Amino acid sequence: MPDRVSRLPSTPTDLLRFRWPIFIALCCLIPFVVSDVWVQMLVFVGLFVILGLGLNVVVGFAGLLDLGYVAFFAAGAYTMGLLTSPGSPIDAHLSFWLILPLGILIASLVGLLLGLPVLPLRGDYLAIVTLGFGEIIRLFLINRDDLTRGSQGLSAIPRPELFGYEIDSFTRWYYFIIAAAVAVAFCTARLRDSRIGRAWEAIREDEDVAAAMGVNTTKYKLLAFATGAAIGGLGGVIYASFIGFISPAAFSLQVSIDVLAIVIIGGMGSTPGVIVGSLILIGVPRILQFRETSDLLANFGWLRDALNALLGAIDAVLPGSIGRLPAAETWGARLADDTRFIIFGALLVLVMVLRPSGLWPSSRRRLEFAHDEPPAPVNAP
Amino acid sequence: MHPALTLSVSFWSDQFVNGLTTGSIYALIALGYTMVYGVLKMINFAHGEVFMLGSFAGYGALVVMGGNDLSGPVIALAILGAIIVAMAASVSASVVIERLAYRPLRNAPRLAPLISAIGVSIFLQYLVLEQTSARAKFYPDIFPRGSLSAGPFEITYIQLFLIASSVAMMALLYAIIQRTRLGRAIRAVAENPTNASLMGVDVNRTIVVVFILGAAMAGVAGVLYGLFFQTIRGSMGFIPGIKAFTAAVLGGIGSIPGAMAGGYVLGLAETVGRELLNELPGVSLGNQWRDVIAFTLLVTILIFRPTGIFAQRSTTRA
Repeated sequence: MPDRVSRLPSTPTDLLRFRWPIFIALCCLIPFVVSDVWVQMLVFVGLFVILGLGLNVVVGFAGLLDLGYVAFFAAGAYTMGLLTSPGSPIDAHLSFWLILPLGILIASLVGLLLGLPVLPLRGDYLAIVTLGFGEIIRLFLINRDDLTRGSQGLSAIPRPELFGYEIDSFTRWYYFIIAAAVAVAFCTARLRDSRIGRAWEAIREDEDVAAAMGVNTTKYKLLAFATGAAIGGLGGVIYASFIGFISPAAFSLQVSIDVLAIVIIGGMGSTPGVIVGSLILIGVPRILQFRETSDLLANFGWLRDALNALLGAIDAVLPGSIGRLPAAETWGARLADDTRFIIFGALLVLVMVLRPSGLWPSSRRRLEFAHDEPPAPVNAP
Repeated sequence: MHPALTLSVSFWSDQFVNGLTTGSIYALIALGYTMVYGVLKMINFAHGEVFMLGSFAGYGALVVMGGNDLSGPVIALAILGAIIVAMAASVSASVVIERLAYRPLRNAPRLAPLISAIGVSIFLQYLVLEQTSARAKFYPDIFPRGSLSAGPFEITYIQLFLIASSVAMMALLYAIIQRTRLGRAIRAVAENPTNASLMGVDVNRTIVVVFILGAAMAGVAGVLYGLFFQTIRGSMGFIPGIKAFTAAVLGGIGSIPGAMAGGYVLGLAETVGRELLNELPGVSLGNQWRDVIAFTLLVTILIFRPTGIFAQRSTTRA
């Protein structure tokens, strides 16, 4: 009998089984229907999907809060930059395809380098050490200007070639990024469902218990760092080649915040969560910068005027307490910098308080956040 | 034989005084980290921003009171006023943060309050950056110039004021913790919240008090920082925040005297320590390597002595 059930024609479950191929196929059709700015925006979203998937391994799978993820991204990008930029003292004219594995290797070595000393540290200590580590890498890139050309940066980084085609248009980059993101998503999903993934999960839930059950916590924590770092390095190599120019300014703490916000707001440990998170946190601010969007927003000038009148009333009572809304044309630009992070910060708190499993949680994570922990003593009357 | 130090005695005593000055600020901020860690076992990532808000509030108060036009004995009153305003601002911010972002997460998994704290930190930092268009503000340059000297040591009035007032604040805090009923409640909750509540301590209220005391110290530190360095900006809380945390870890997190001592050790390590390293052959570390020294120290301490350099008890292993 069960045999016949399994041969029944297409059920919703069958569709569900093919949800990823269908999703990828749909993604591949996008460049045929939208303009180049949209494709460019999606390349950035894709890049952050890759970074998000990488940090997801560290934060989501293994529960190690890493606030210096940008360090690995920088390691990959500077491997590419230093070995290919004409401005670099060690320019070797290497091909992208040679540097890709090299960048991944170097980034994972940086990951191990960071991982080794912080191994015995608890979550919150780990967070602050990795935060400092990310800053050290940036200070290093600025101050060792004999090697990295400091804040001048490295330019004219070449693009990859594939089967005789140079990847030069946004559309080609888009397919390239999709291929890379799919590869990364596949690898991380396989890792998650493997023995390694279960070990990570055990460590995330309770490191002491995991160790007591025979999980080699040292090995698996290092592996998590190295895997996350490798993916960050991959993202860095691709980024350097895509932009063609890198400088320490591109590797600030803000990148770490971006990626962390993607993972947490999307849903820790969840691949669809990372995609949704990247679309919202990276895609939307860029969309708001588009001309089409500001033209659209200009139609709602009356709404802005009304809100400004209200803000003016508050300002009259408490002088200097509050600003005015900007004109529609500048919204996007403002959202692209500081304002975006105000919203990210508020979202991180809101998600933690209201929906700790994120917007699109992984099924396991959902269970974890739902189950009742024994009441902590601090909440006693 | 070790070669004699190349620089003059007055150079080293200057570095020493500078170290004490920045150390005072680190120590004041570190108290907030260490006390919150003591009762909640959590790093209050937003504490650097509480310090920043205090600094901005003090700046606002000074400007309202006349800014650069202040002169004569009124300056003392104005600075006192600025300190009170800064403390009030930091304390109210901290109480709101505790209520909205931390208290709902008391029973949540360990990572949740930490992420929430990071969210608050990012939110406040960029909110102020946005409101100030990311420009720096400059504290009114009203503090009397001049200096005292004793032997090889020369100390400017502002440095003296900074060190003396931080020591006074710390002494006050220490007295509150050791001598009052409130302090006893705080120590009891830090020791064991369940038992404290069984003994009739209102744990939630005590936690709020801890946030208030820590924020008050950060508010004072904010004004002192502004008066001394003059330039303040929305992102100013980040580096002193991490360094103060380093100081708290140095002294053994959870320990109040430890945080004070840790602040001074770190301040001296950054100034005197860096110059001593520069005495080694082939080493030349500019001022920009200061932060690297602090972070390296943090990592080293966490690995080799996670209970801090002065710790006797090993209850809070990292």
